Amino acid sequence: MIHALLWMCLLFPPQSAEPSVSPEVLTLLQAGTDAENRSDFDQAIAAFRRAANLDPTAGIVFFKLGDAYMKKRDFAGAISPLQRAAELSPESLAVRQLLGYALLAEGYASQAIPHLTMIHEYGALGIAQLQTGQPGEAVANLQAALAKSPDDPDLLFYLSRAATALSGQSLDRLLSVYPKSARGYQALGQTDYEMKVFPKAVMEYEQAIAIRPDLPGLRLELGQVYAAGSEWEKAEEQFRGEAKLQPGSPEAAYRLGNALMQQGKMKEAIEELRRSDLLRPNMPETLYALGRAAAVVDPNLAEHAFARVIELEKETPLAGQAYLALAGIHRKQGKTELAAREMQEYGRIQTLTAGLEHKNP
Amino acid sequence: MARRIPRREFLASLGAAGATTAASLLSLAPVRILAGYSAAAKPKSDPIFQAKALKGVDFVLRNSPTSRKYLIETMPGGVALLDYNNDGLLDIFFVNGGHVRDIVGATMSFDRRNPAYWNRLYRQNPDGTFTDVTQQAGLADAGNSNYGMGVAVGDYDNDGFPDIYVTNFGKNILYHNNGDGTFTDVTAKAGVAAGGWSASAGFFDCDNDGRLDLFVTRYLDWSMEKSKTCGSERPTYCPPGEFPAITNILYHNRGDGTFEDVSVASGIAAKKGHGLGVAFADYDGDGFTDIFVANDVTNQFLFHNNGNGTFTECGLESGAALSENGKMLSGMGVVFQDYDNDGLPDLLITQLPHEPYVVFHNEGRGLFSAQELTAGFGVLSGNSSGWGVGLEDFDNDGWKDAFIVQGHVFDNVEMYDGSLRYREPPLLALNHKGRFVKADAGSDVPVAGRGAAFGDLNNDGWVDVITTSLGEAPQCYLNYGGELHWLTITLRGKRSNRDGFGARVQVNGQTRFATASGSYLSSNDKRLHFGLGSAETADIEIKWPSGIQQALRGVKANQFIVIEESAP
Repeated sequence: MIHALLWMCLLFPPQSAEPSVSPEVLTLLQAGTDAENRSDFDQAIAAFRRAANLDPTAGIVFFKLGDAYMKKRDFAGAISPLQRAAELSPESLAVRQLLGYALLAEGYASQAIPHLTMIHEYGALGIAQLQTGQPGEAVANLQAALAKSPDDPDLLFYLSRAATALSGQSLDRLLSVYPKSARGYQALGQTDYEMKVFPKAVMEYEQAIAIRPDLPGLRLELGQVYAAGSEWEKAEEQFRGEAKLQPGSPEAAYRLGNALMQQGKMKEAIEELRRSDLLRPNMPETLYALGRAAAVVDPNLAEHAFARVIELEKETPLAGQAYLALAGIHRKQGKTELAAREMQEYGRIQTLTAGLEHKNP
Repeated sequence: MARRIPRREFLASLGAAGATTAASLLSLAPVRILAGYSAAAKPKSDPIFQAKALKGVDFVLRNSPTSRKYLIETMPGGVALLDYNNDGLLDIFFVNGGHVRDIVGATMSFDRRNPAYWNRLYRQNPDGTFTDVTQQAGLADAGNSNYGMGVAVGDYDNDGFPDIYVTNFGKNILYHNNGDGTFTDVTAKAGVAAGGWSASAGFFDCDNDGRLDLFVTRYLDWSMEKSKTCGSERPTYCPPGEFPAITNILYHNRGDGTFEDVSVASGIAAKKGHGLGVAFADYDGDGFTDIFVANDVTNQFLFHNNGNGTFTECGLESGAALSENGKMLSGMGVVFQDYDNDGLPDLLITQLPHEPYVVFHNEGRGLFSAQELTAGFGVLSGNSSGWGVGLEDFDNDGWKDAFIVQGHVFDNVEMYDGSLRYREPPLLALNHKGRFVKADAGSDVPVAGRGAAFGDLNNDGWVDVITTSLGEAPQCYLNYGGELHWLTITLRGKRSNRDGFGARVQVNGQTRFATASGSYLSSNDKRLHFGLGSAETADIEIKWPSGIQQALRGVKANQFIVIEESAP
């Protein structure tokens, strides 16, 4: 990122101040510029350095010298002349820009920040802030940079890092200030869950629930820990608790329905999945789960649910799964032609989605 | 409180019963019981497995894990329960892996001449101990360039003695049982060496001509040279999709000691997959035995036997190719028996974690539906990796239970996923009228389980289990049984193949499809075991592969009987 931005800057150099120097210095500046144009940066640096010796108060000379170092990708060499240029021309944005990049490239992120702030270079500023332990500010600036350059892979990469760092920082703060709080245990539980250390995650969530039994979401998350470990009976207990706490939560109803289905309790599962569908209609995953649960005990309901999935999803893998399930139901009903057509649709979507997956990086 | 009969006491009683066998032949038209011996009545009713070391069995499955993560290392090995010398006692045959050198580009030399890497045959003695008879039986030479995988057992020449077929990464070997305690390697003459990476194999009669044919699954188009590792910082075994799929093989028995490779002509070779397990049953009742191949991350294959020497793969159309969610299974082991006593063979397939083991319930009319959740496997298997599998009535209540050996493919899986385990204890799930519930398997010791063979090792009327695990001695789970009744049937085909493989046997409303195949890389006791619950007699109906049907009413419980196929 740094290099890319640097070269962007070098390709489109900002307006610099009008030079007011002696003819001798001007000749050396011209010779240096000519050498630069030939990509002979060593020659250019030699010419600019002689000019600097002749006129140590000319900001443009130090700017050109720093610029030549930058073009040579000698960022360490660029810092000193650019700092002198900044002293001589404190208002020059061009100098600030180059100096900010040079400092950042050499790892002096904190020194780079004031210069990058002056020129509103959000991307580089965000990177510098990430490196100096200011993830919150980094996230804001990187998002601002992404608004100008959407999908820039480098910006996205650093934003991801900044967000992770911000999350960690917030968690550290939470745990240092309120180590025994429900939220603290919840956060630890979530971390353990993500790292698939399920027994520890269970302990953390149980602590959180003991402290704040009324806190929504705790049981839902603990249920998901149990579900990830295929402990469906325990997952059911937690989802049931969450559903009781939040009777209007479609997710709690969906997850409870799924836990019941995994245990083969299809009638109860249908009840919860229908409730979830009522609370938040047209969720394809809920409808698909409803179809699965109903396939055994109520094929008509299953047929209806799978048809709704197809209607909503059109040609996604979930729609393909719904076609496959429908074909199974219809084969059992002796509707072989219909089942054959559904299998064709399933195959078509499989091919289609496999192609899409292949195209994705 | 139950009284357990000591094994020695029981075996002594068995020997006495055996001595009277010849004199006590029963002839109950139309079924002829050629031999019978009764076990002493057993107390107690719960199935209680106890993990036991078998005296005299010193086998260790040496898979030679290397840092190169050659995929073969994590896949063996099979075990067979067979009575090779027809003394009425089950013997045990183990397939060993081999020595893999931990170098890049290791060659096809697995040090199989070293006794540590031999396959092993253990003969059961009347006192319940075992004797290693590998060398004297002529089974020591497993082929230096063969890395061992699985085993199939069947009497392919109908001479009354079970023959052994060993699958390898390399060339497979057919050992003909000479009937005198020795075997002869007849692979070259028989023409069944296959090649490449074979996995499970099974004998069955594909055309009902009375001779056992041979089906061999093959896993991957793989070689030591093509091997690679997956994972970055923590290299591990690659998934099968990293290597090309390959065809399975069907050998037709010509009846003269030779086989013909009919893979192409039969349509078997029309499908490429990543075959591991294989099981046989006539799922649509048309009188011809069909084939199910458990594929690893490929559609499962259901080869319908067209009855004219050809097969049609119809897994997708039958609903037995994919999970209920339309996902491919990582199929490992498979068993093809009727778990819900509706008379139709169902499929139980073991696979890797995050999806339950799959139950394809046979709905009739050639259709299957995924029923693992209603069958209870949603809560039994989500984070486990299953391999060898059996559906046997371990508690003799009239419902077939499931026993599954478990353990992940990756020996470093814990580094990838803290919720998974490389070593796991086995799963015993008792069948409560179609719903399986976890029970005590007799051991919580975790192992990297692979093969499993099922049979009544001590002839006490309760089915036992022998399993293999990577790098370790085998495990024996002896079933100490209870009070419920049972009946064990040995089929003797006349027009049909002598083993009676492919016969449908119904006893008091239960159905078994005669086979030694199923599980993973392994071969089971060919005898058909039925739990009778509290019933003291049994009504038996047999439909032989020849089409002949026989029936027997009021057979006394708690005995081993031999039923010979009647004349047409």
